Amino acid sequence: MRAYILRRLLQSIVVVFAVTTIMFFIFRIVPADPTAMMVERGMSEEARQALLKEWGLTGSLGTQYVSYIKNLMVFDFGESFFYKKPVWDVLLPRIVNTLWIAVPGLLMGAAIGAGLGMVVGWSKRGSATERSGILVATIIRGTPSFIIGIALLAIFSSWLGWLPGFGMGDANGKTGIARFLQGDFLIHLILPVLAITIYFLPENLLLMRSGVAENRTEDYIELVRAKGVSNSRVAWHAGRNSLLPLITWLFPALAETIAGIVVIEIVFSWPGIGRELVMAVTRQDFPLAQAAFFLLAVMIVVANFAADLTYGKLDPRVVYR
Amino acid sequence: MTTLVKYTKQSPSRRWSWLTDPLAALIRDRFALGGLIILAIFFLIAIFAPLIATHPPFESAISDTGRLMRLQPPSADHWLGTTTFGQDVFSQFVLGFRVTLMVGVLGAIAVGVISTLFGVISGYFGGWVDDVLMRITDIALSIPTLPFAILAVGLLGPSINNIILVIVLLFWRNGARIIRSAVLTERERVYVKWARTAGASHVHIIRCHILPNVFRVIFLWVTMSVAFAVLTEASLSFIGLGDPSTTSWGQMLNTAFTSGNLRSAWWWVVPPSLALVMLISSLYLVGRAFEEHANPRLRAK
Repeated sequence: MRAYILRRLLQSIVVVFAVTTIMFFIFRIVPADPTAMMVERGMSEEARQALLKEWGLTGSLGTQYVSYIKNLMVFDFGESFFYKKPVWDVLLPRIVNTLWIAVPGLLMGAAIGAGLGMVVGWSKRGSATERSGILVATIIRGTPSFIIGIALLAIFSSWLGWLPGFGMGDANGKTGIARFLQGDFLIHLILPVLAITIYFLPENLLLMRSGVAENRTEDYIELVRAKGVSNSRVAWHAGRNSLLPLITWLFPALAETIAGIVVIEIVFSWPGIGRELVMAVTRQDFPLAQAAFFLLAVMIVVANFAADLTYGKLDPRVVYR
Repeated sequence: MTTLVKYTKQSPSRRWSWLTDPLAALIRDRFALGGLIILAIFFLIAIFAPLIATHPPFESAISDTGRLMRLQPPSADHWLGTTTFGQDVFSQFVLGFRVTLMVGVLGAIAVGVISTLFGVISGYFGGWVDDVLMRITDIALSIPTLPFAILAVGLLGPSINNIILVIVLLFWRNGARIIRSAVLTERERVYVKWARTAGASHVHIIRCHILPNVFRVIFLWVTMSVAFAVLTEASLSFIGLGDPSTTSWGQMLNTAFTSGNLRSAWWWVVPPSLALVMLISSLYLVGRAFEEHANPRLRAK
């Protein structure tokens, strides 16, 4: 077990290393010049060279690469061109903001999706419940996340006027955790979380449904039924066994889900890491864009690692090698 | 006896069964049939889009009194109203079919070709090629899709070509893996081993035994890739990284969003949203029927 964790950890480090290398080259082969923005503001050539040196953009590719990796290893992303302060100071609050909408959204989407998937999977083959469940889930799955956001905005914010759909409310001068524990913030939280829930729900539903539909023909289900157990408890037997593939899918699916969350943040003007990434790219704020991307990639690697570990905890048959 | 007759009757067409069987399954599945019909209509509109469009997409409508006709609701002249710049929504919408389907189909074909190539080589020959491919896909799967697309398109410049390039870079990896594992099972089949013993060349075995049998998997992946490509293009365009010289649906929504008219100008927002949902859902419905067809445990009794 310990050897397995160690090996997976090493693998994860290799993956992170490879991603950073790819990133290094992406930022250096592109035609865009990071100082272009500054030169327009009337910067002298010497000042430009000094800046390039400060950002580690002078010298051979080899030396650049070495200093780049060195900086990343200690999570030193440098200073944002736009905000004129360390990238960490900009990104850390953004990450917290993203987690505020992502974690509840993903958890609710998974829970509700799995629950509904069990109902649909256990319903009679070809019944109205099954067919309409699959159809509705597939249509929602085919809805781009920003359209879910736009629809929620139109209904709850414009038409009914119940909920705000822009930003995360006034800080009222509060900082730290107190900033998030006010009614205004929580009201602003509702629509983005709802959008992520709806966006994430259908894939859980469909996966759970096919798991239950496959499991219900197994012999052990017949046995449980023969024992005279009630129908809903039999369904739970099949459902529990279908949770495993769902959970292994869940963590790696984060890579795709983060994609949806980036766009949802844009729709609701939520100051999260995804929206910051988009703004950094359009502003050509390279250190910030690079760091945001790096952190998103690390999140996925960590999630994959976690998935492998939980899988063994949940299924005793899994042997770590 | 009846089964024998049936079989001999069928046998001339067995040669094409790898193509006709999945197609028959699609038509039998009512959801997939609905999806196919929607897709057919969308393709027809895309092909004839320049004939259907009533105005040049970027032309601003000026009223008789010389004022810009901004945000007009639908009328006889502008069937779906106008944008905040006085452009005809209907024409932009119709031409959007072309952009969207072009990105989707070109991207998916490129993804399909590359995935098949890598999947077949790696699955069939194995060895170090397979090892290298598996390591590359391991790494590629840890790259967050849309953030990568945002970065790459943002840095390379927003154009249709770059968007297609990014789509191919993002989605070949999953396809190669899926096709590889399908090839792996086919390779171990008895008739493949017989064919090899009988002296058949690798090319012959791949062409006649492997490809027809993994065709279903390739087709499924290409179908899904169209959906992913459309989704990626729409998301990028909505974010503001679309090709400025075209009028894709994502871009229409982006203009409506950034100009602050998302909530009021329904005639501008609803058509592209609805079309995107219909297109992607139809592709998923077709893909789903394929998946169920391939998995006998899910087939209805």
